[in-house]
Amino acid sequence: MHITHLKTGITKPVFVELVNPEDFKLITKKRYWFNWKVEKGNWVYKLRIEGSDDILGVMSLVYIKEEERVQINLLAVSKENRGKGKEYEGIAGNLIAFACREILKLHGIRGCVSLVPKDILKSHYMKKYRMLDAGYQVFLEGSSLLKLLRDNNV
Amino acid sequence: MKTNKLNKKYTPSELAESFVFRNTLTDKQKAEAKKQLAEARTKVRKNTTEETKLLASVLQLRYQMEDYASSSTYDSNLTFAYFLRSYIKLKYTINKKFASDINIDETELSQLLNKHRYPSEKTIIRLEIHSNKTIPALSWYKLLEKEKEYELQNDMVMREKEVKYVKNKLRIG
Repeated sequence: MHITHLKTGITKPVFVELVNPEDFKLITKKRYWFNWKVEKGNWVYKLRIEGSDDILGVMSLVYIKEEERVQINLLAVSKENRGKGKEYEGIAGNLIAFACREILKLHGIRGCVSLVPKDILKSHYMKKYRMLDAGYQVFLEGSSLLKLLRDNNV
Repeated sequence: MKTNKLNKKYTPSELAESFVFRNTLTDKQKAEAKKQLAEARTKVRKNTTEETKLLASVLQLRYQMEDYASSSTYDSNLTFAYFLRSYIKLKYTINKKFASDINIDETELSQLLNKHRYPSEKTIIRLEIHSNKTIPALSWYKLLEKEKEYELQNDMVMREKEVKYVKNKLRIG
């Protein structure tokens, strides 16, 4: 898994792991938009560049075992990595790919990653992350999920 | 209100590259969403090829191997032999055929599967090639390394056996 530094074009290996209880002090609304403390009961992951402690993105997953699915409940990249002036490209894609990895590890081909998009963003998730349309939700399963893993070298 | 601020600052494409927002569906919509997703997933499953299923199974095994190898726990069941056996079962019903496909002797494969020997580097490379690089040689190697580390650390019999070969032990510590 890699992200690209946009100014230099240099790619850097990244690492995704569960947040520590202390991390909740660092993942503030100011830098990561949401109140992450309320996600404590979910699987909350952070992305950082290998060898660095700085958290560049956070994702909260809800595991629905009986449906062999994880739902991306919340995701945010750090403030400096959003929009036109962002430093790194690929943070959200790698987090979503990591969710795919985790569900594939647990349920193989039957594993599914889904999210409930805002209407205005639905087509963008589908285009950017190969997500499939399921009405209120978009999802990855089967070949679409495997392709996202391949796209992100997971 | 807060999200409006984001809508002004970023384009929809930029928002999709930066956020997934909490869902605001009503209970009725949630029930409908669940039904829609189940239907869409059924369609996907109907169209999934055997090749895709096999790729998913091999990747699943790889992730399980890698996570175990990098974990701090040791499980005597999760050996190289265990994962190799699981890998073979994904496509073969007869071990002999697999041994032939990676050009190793059937006896050698049997010894690997029964933990009577460790694989050579050549065998590990052949496993990588056989999986079309889906499981890298390094993933097999790290698994093996973990097993060897544990054995080295806990082999008291060998320590007792080897002590007679060592003279002038450093008198420190």
